[in-house]
Amino acid sequence: MAGDRAVKVWAWIAAAHIGDEPVSVAAVCNAAVLRLGIDGASVSAVSGRRRREPLFASNELSAVLEELQFTTGEGPAADGSGLGAPVLVGDLESAAARWPGFVPEAVAAGARAMFAVPLQAGAIQVGVLSLYRAIAGPLTAGELADVLVFADVALHMLLDAASGVSGSPDYRPLNEFSDRRAVVHQATGMISVQLEVSLEEALVRLRAHAFARGTGIGQVAGEVVSRRLRFDSGAGTDA
Amino acid sequence: MAATMEERLAQTFVELADTLVSGFDLMEFLHLLTDRCVELLEVDAAGLLLADARGALQLVAASTEQARLAELFQIQNDEGPCLDCYRTGSPVIVGDLATGNAAAQWPRFASAAKKMGFAAVHAIPMRLREEIIGTLNLFGSAPNVLDQAVARAATALVDVATIGILQERAAREQELVSGQLQVALNSRVMIEQAKGIIAERLRITPDQAFITLRHYSRNNNLPLTQLARDVISGTVAIAEGTQAGLRPKTPGQRR
Repeated sequence: MAGDRAVKVWAWIAAAHIGDEPVSVAAVCNAAVLRLGIDGASVSAVSGRRRREPLFASNELSAVLEELQFTTGEGPAADGSGLGAPVLVGDLESAAARWPGFVPEAVAAGARAMFAVPLQAGAIQVGVLSLYRAIAGPLTAGELADVLVFADVALHMLLDAASGVSGSPDYRPLNEFSDRRAVVHQATGMISVQLEVSLEEALVRLRAHAFARGTGIGQVAGEVVSRRLRFDSGAGTDA
Repeated sequence: MAATMEERLAQTFVELADTLVSGFDLMEFLHLLTDRCVELLEVDAAGLLLADARGALQLVAASTEQARLAELFQIQNDEGPCLDCYRTGSPVIVGDLATGNAAAQWPRFASAAKKMGFAAVHAIPMRLREEIIGTLNLFGSAPNVLDQAVARAATALVDVATIGILQERAAREQELVSGQLQVALNSRVMIEQAKGIIAERLRITPDQAFITLRHYSRNNNLPLTQLARDVISGTVAIAEGTQAGLRPKTPGQRR
């Protein structure tokens, strides 16, 4: 069933969360390490084409790999085509020709397989989820499917962190809040024009509005598209 | 009739093959495919759905962009021929929604489909080796069971769609397929975002915005996905007023 995997992954993330702070990408990374048989996970935020800011790394090597990719401009996370495709390298050594500045150092540091998934919705890219293994080998189909859900959660967490929504105690970035229907993306485009902001900012505002009203994002999006709801310089006003 | 079908099918394959090799744009390709499905298979609407990471069926291309039709595809995440087809890996052929089990099996879907004037519905699985990656959904306004020749043609077209998604010769690994699927799904999202931008600027519906996109795409030989990016980035500007539509951006012009 479509929802089962998402429910499972969210339960893993919630279980990996510690402390009083809101659930964040730290829990995403730690849960991924615990459940997917990988050795390290990290999330970095993206602004513009090149600038990446590391947000969390589950261990030292993950942090080192992020830094290496940043300085060399090479590697799975750095390689983002902008098209939304994950970069999956089950055998890092075989990619030496592709990333000559990065691979030898990464291998020397202990990585043998790396997987990077852009945190992306259409033209909106907010970051990258990166995973590595100390032993070469591809992700299984099931692991990859789980990774994509982890990435989905991380994407929405980053969007919601921008508006403060994720700080709420009953925050759950799945189910209603990650409705992927066409209207959500259409509404995002419309709101970006109404508020004269980027698509990313528009989606942040759409989600914040839905959360504040306790309504599904699909419903709010439907109201925007049918022009019953406009976003102007207030938080969102009726048309 | 069979000979004509084969000739037309052959022509379609040539056309699709040309698209595959020169200036390939996946969205363009899939839209072309759904258009040809309607013509060749003598149905009234066709839609291609791909399963996303969570196993939900997402519409990536359809022969018509009418929002109400999109609803008909959306319902099928909970019930309907496409969901059954996706789960079982077998075609689901419903010659007449009014007779048989359709209304009992899929009450919401059957009711919605009938309201929109559809009598016949078929779902063909998109198969990649052992995995079902999506379905082709066909709608007809008159009762009609797909005959052998048409059913074979539908399967062939679906296989071509799968090839289009794979694209690259080296695609043996699950990983690359998943990457291509993500690209297709993401491209669709980009197009929806661009539709929203245009709809708001020109005060039209998203459906009409898609028509605007397609016209510009064809007239300027610019693939849909690239055009969507350009609209979002402002490289292609949106002109309002009496000459409303898309324009290449001139220097100094705001998006």
